[in-house]
Amino acid sequence: MRGDGIARPLGALRRRATRRRIAIAGFLAVVGPGVITGFAGNEAGGVTTYSSVGAHFGFALLWLLLVASIGLGVIQEMCSRMGITTGQGLSDLIRERFGVRWTILAMLVLIIANGSNVVAEFAGIAASVEILGVPRIVSVPLAALGVWTLVVFFSYRIVERVLFVLVLAFIAYPVSVFILKPDWPVVLSGFIPSLPSSPSALVFALALVGTTITPYLLFYMQASVVDKGTDRQSAAYARIDVFLGAALAGLFAFFIIVVTGTVLYPAGIQVTSAEAAAKALVPLAGERAGLLFAMGLCGASLLGAVVMPLSTSYAICEAFGWESGISKNFREAPVFMSLFTLLLLLGATIVLIPGISLIPLIISAQIANGVLLPIILVFILRLATDRRVMGDAVNGRVTTALGWGVVALAGSLSLGYLFASFFAT
Amino acid sequence: MPYLSDIQHRRVIEPNGTEVAKLADLAVVPQGQFPAVQWAILATPSGERVVRWSEMAQEIGHLRLRGRLDTITDAKLPQEALRLSRDLMDKQVVDTHGAKVVRVNDLQLSEVDGQLRLVGADVGLRGLLRRVGAEGLAERVVGLAGQKLPRGIIPWHLVEPLSAPDANVRVTVPRTKLALLHPADIADIVEEMSVDERRAVFEQLDIETAADTLSEVEPEMQASIVSDLDEERAADILDEMAPDEAADLLQDLPEERRDELVDLMQKDEAADVEELLTYPEDSAGGIMTTDFIALPAQLTAGGAIDRLRELQPDAELTYYLYVVDGQGRLDGVISLRDLVVAKPETPITEVMDRNVLKVDATSPKEEVAALIAKYNLLALPVVDARRKLLGTVTIDDVVDIMLPRGWRKRSLRSIAR
Repeated sequence: MRGDGIARPLGALRRRATRRRIAIAGFLAVVGPGVITGFAGNEAGGVTTYSSVGAHFGFALLWLLLVASIGLGVIQEMCSRMGITTGQGLSDLIRERFGVRWTILAMLVLIIANGSNVVAEFAGIAASVEILGVPRIVSVPLAALGVWTLVVFFSYRIVERVLFVLVLAFIAYPVSVFILKPDWPVVLSGFIPSLPSSPSALVFALALVGTTITPYLLFYMQASVVDKGTDRQSAAYARIDVFLGAALAGLFAFFIIVVTGTVLYPAGIQVTSAEAAAKALVPLAGERAGLLFAMGLCGASLLGAVVMPLSTSYAICEAFGWESGISKNFREAPVFMSLFTLLLLLGATIVLIPGISLIPLIISAQIANGVLLPIILVFILRLATDRRVMGDAVNGRVTTALGWGVVALAGSLSLGYLFASFFAT
Repeated sequence: MPYLSDIQHRRVIEPNGTEVAKLADLAVVPQGQFPAVQWAILATPSGERVVRWSEMAQEIGHLRLRGRLDTITDAKLPQEALRLSRDLMDKQVVDTHGAKVVRVNDLQLSEVDGQLRLVGADVGLRGLLRRVGAEGLAERVVGLAGQKLPRGIIPWHLVEPLSAPDANVRVTVPRTKLALLHPADIADIVEEMSVDERRAVFEQLDIETAADTLSEVEPEMQASIVSDLDEERAADILDEMAPDEAADLLQDLPEERRDELVDLMQKDEAADVEELLTYPEDSAGGIMTTDFIALPAQLTAGGAIDRLRELQPDAELTYYLYVVDGQGRLDGVISLRDLVVAKPETPITEVMDRNVLKVDATSPKEEVAALIAKYNLLALPVVDARRKLLGTVTIDDVVDIMLPRGWRKRSLRSIAR
């Protein structure tokens, strides 16, 4: 629902009298895309990656998390502003500004990144229910079929709420922090930039950035802003919403790293399975830790498995002008429906490859996202600094500089990783 | 027939054969059915030059200028000119024939009476493949399977461009072609537009079409469209809408905005709408319309027909004619047929059906829908506790309730909200 009369040319008197009320209502009306996207970022990939980072390196990479969260805020703000100014999605803008060839590149990148995310979501589903003793050969096909049926035949909204309740299980992390009473000076020392000497540090650094600033989030965010129809006058509120979302996402990741860094790291427990990751919650939940973690991971993964294929199909069909929409059937929107179905099938199938280990699979997906991120970021920056596209809402100098800073960080991690793996082989 | 992607980036040579530029773009003034190409934009080493198209000749593989480039005077593009590549290629346009928003993959040009004209928009897969230079290859591959690549070209006179040429100059392109469509089709198109385009459309349509279109738009979007329009315009459109639809829409607006709009509406329309707003959205009162025909009980059949002649009601109001007493209480119902067949001097109370099926204003709308479905009614009168006739619920108001869930439109919007 569209918001309040913040923008309305009321009489000056009336405006003064009601300003306060309107300001609050105005914020509530535009709040959403940013905060929701902030939470959506904590799907299977996020939780697994943050847990692994905490377990492997303790607090040593907290500084990178801070940088990545700021980066997320900066880039998301650009996407939100682009959505508000142009009323168009990111893939629309890429197509209109850069033409067919560049669009094909961007969409290939998106489909690889999001495809690997879908795999990660199914791996998350499999891993979480394996804690409860359900084999993946049962859970994964069921989940794929369930998600497909749900999206095609039912309302997404109701199920969204159920899943959100499951995800609430992750509140266990902030609560654990209070029980654990970590050694704060040690925790805070993690904000001093340093790269641990372990050879896997670069890999995890890349995964950390890739899962915090996921390419998918950027497309999803802008689409949400456009769908919500936020107007230009509410841009200030939308900005608060975006920064709040990024801050919440960062804070949540911070809690996971602090908990796993306090519980798993000193004990030398590596996150090689969901059970291992769940051990971080033992001080809080005792033997129910597994159940708690499984609930949260399952909810988050299912949520991701629904949204990810959908938002990918929308982005790609929009870019190429193909019919899209879940209320359409295979004949009306062939590409959209096939793409959506194929992504689900692909995700489920890869997870079912015999003997594949789930946690490394999830981490690899985040690495893929991290490697591909710089490409998408360049598109975003080129658009947000283009006066023809943005008019007066074009990037300021500071924002642009910060944006290129994020590109430099993501790019150097990505190149560093590619070089390292090239020389390793 | 050439496509823009074929001739764009072609070499431009001077009469003596030296290459001086590449063709960057073509420009037209978007008037008439198939606008003529009037200018060429050349990319020279020292920047863009605009020259008249008549200064150029098309030859195989390149374009030849009729004189040396430095002797040709620069032409100036008028503000309303559209640059084909910059303003149309890859952009969204409305296919007014198929009533949907599509994306331009390529533009088709044709030589008509010695004049190069813009004749169509390629929105198909072929256009996309041609842009990446893979049309021939794809054609051979598909040919192996004994198939042909489908063409997806919309003739230009059926195309309505959407985007303004430049984000900084928000010129409003007159959307004359759009206005000719059925309001339900315009609504489908509008739902796919961006906020600005949407507002522009509602500012340009005539009030009646705008009202009909707004009624057909998804409820969530109705409120946001009305919020974006200026108050006067919004109030005019609301006046024109059926009172029940206007009330539903206003219900979704913030209170303050709602009061402003009701203040600006015409007195009688505003009174109807305000009355409707007092009922809960999900009750018979909330979905009913206050447009109905009530005949005083003392009329004769002839008198009733005369009354109808005066009122000249819309067709959908004449299915049921209600008979009310001096206090406006519902006594009976008459069909137009009964009225016509009866002798003119017969009192209508003698021909009316006293067993009228009716609902209370507070009944839930599902109940109303069930009654209408069960008795195959076109409309159902709504009364208050004292049997006073308040309005009617027509079948189109409850169709949505009767349809299974999946029939209602869904899109990414449903996720984002």
